[in-house]
Amino acid sequence: MSGLLPTFKRERKGLWVTPLAWVLLVTFLLLQGGIFYSITVHFSKMEGAALESGPLNAYFGQQSLLMAMTLLLLCPSLTMRTLAEERRTGNIELLLSAPVSPSAIVLGKYAGVYLSYLLIWLPTGLYAFILRDTGSLHLPTLASGYLGIALVGVSHLSIGLLMSSMARSQLVALLLTSTCLFGIFVLGIGEYIFDDGILRDISGYLSLTTLLEECSKGVIDSRRIVLHLSVGAWALFVTSRIVQSWRHA
Amino acid sequence: MESGSSPTMIEAVDLEKSFGAVGAVRGVTFSVRQGEVLGFLGPNGAGKTTTFRMLAGTLSPTQGRVAICGYDIASQPLQAKSRLGYMPENALLYPELSAREYLSYRAELKHITRSERDRAILRASEQAKIGTMLDTRIAHLSKGYRGRVALADALLGSPPVLLLDEPTAGLDPNQVLEVRALIASLREEHAILISTHVLSEVEATCTSALVIHKGKVVEQGPLDALRQRQKGARLKLVVQATVSSLGSTLGPLLARLSPRDAAKVRIFQREGQSHALLPSADESLVAEAVRLCVAAGLAVLEVTPQRRALDDVFAALTTSQTADEVTASIEAQ
Repeated sequence: MSGLLPTFKRERKGLWVTPLAWVLLVTFLLLQGGIFYSITVHFSKMEGAALESGPLNAYFGQQSLLMAMTLLLLCPSLTMRTLAEERRTGNIELLLSAPVSPSAIVLGKYAGVYLSYLLIWLPTGLYAFILRDTGSLHLPTLASGYLGIALVGVSHLSIGLLMSSMARSQLVALLLTSTCLFGIFVLGIGEYIFDDGILRDISGYLSLTTLLEECSKGVIDSRRIVLHLSVGAWALFVTSRIVQSWRHA
Repeated sequence: MESGSSPTMIEAVDLEKSFGAVGAVRGVTFSVRQGEVLGFLGPNGAGKTTTFRMLAGTLSPTQGRVAICGYDIASQPLQAKSRLGYMPENALLYPELSAREYLSYRAELKHITRSERDRAILRASEQAKIGTMLDTRIAHLSKGYRGRVALADALLGSPPVLLLDEPTAGLDPNQVLEVRALIASLREEHAILISTHVLSEVEATCTSALVIHKGKVVEQGPLDALRQRQKGARLKLVVQATVSSLGSTLGPLLARLSPRDAAKVRIFQREGQSHALLPSADESLVAEAVRLCVAAGLAVLEVTPQRRALDDVFAALTTSQTADEVTASIEAQ
């Protein structure tokens, strides 16, 4: 897997030396800050709020629709340039002529984008710091909330990378990823639409909001972990094959 | 293509590439040895870039194979590519990085160890003459300097094989000379393949040339052999006389030529002088032409044995004109 590390470093750095990551970070934090502020204000007006329904639980779980929408904006924006831009600029020629395997290119780029995704979420840890003395902070629940975010990142970013490999323009990659992720999101809503049965089970399995809600309560369903890791692995495998196939174009 | 004991560094065998029904490259076979600089010539759309991409391993051939230093690029890509320095024609590089950061990234991709990296970057940047621009962002570099950063990238780690696609594109005349001198200095230890439209560049830097047209190799060999194969040598004679007197003076000489060569003789007036172009430049012909003119009392102003210019050969190979027709049309302008 030689070449993974330099590709990872290049991707990580390449993102943060452009305005894109900083604009995303600022927009994301403004949005999250607003959500957290409104939740906190709401809870401050409630007396005797139970631990399991504290502000951070609400932030990760009860507001999961807002969280899901945030993720639908964040993930495509992070991944849109990864491979599409390399092809547009012709730099893919340089990359493919180097002694690096397509898998290393894809995994390196994925790792770079995933780290950026985690870095963007990092400042929200301040919310826990702010609430440390309120008695509403429960660290295991907080950790499982972030696990949900991390899991969504695994699958969504890999799908974004896949879409970026299928486009020659960042904008097209953005639209493809957004459409794909929104489609998955809508399928998940089926949980609230279908009657009991296999369709409802599948929708519930795919549901982004349910995943975030469960994780916010400290419930970790191994089936969901398997789902997101499998989607991630599948998408990265297909992306590697696509990069490999560019040699046959 | 060149005999000798130097090892074969680039070997392309029966390369073919089709895009749908269109055959971009058809049966291209050649090899380049260490110490050889092969000029890859051809008009736009001839298949040069497609061939380069197959050699660099970024495009797989529909048929045929490529070996770099003996390693098959399809089955041993990492070994082959680690011995290859490739400068593509149109890569934009990464504008947000400085030249140093870019070269450092590329050096790491090429598995140049951390301890060697700084030295390799310094060496390549000195060779490509970008030492003063190393800390400038690529976005702020001129097209010429960006090309030189790409050249420095190809030179990183001193790979034994260099594939340079239009290495002097966008450079000013002084920079062109510097790059040519660099290629000449690299020749000994490398096998170099240069794609270019600039024929003077091939004449100045290459030991041999390959002409590709409509995806097929139409000519290849050492430059001199290439010119000769196109029956290039001619004699240009300029005398102070009228066209008719020059014609009659050279009459005995022309009578000795074959009918085919005699038909190619051109005698014309230009700027008050008579010019004769004879389709051969062997020593006996030169001596005879001068002797006849002197004996007739004509003042000989110029006697120039002319080698066929590579431009004529190139045009003849890639158009329906013969080399003589090309030469005549150039001279008529």
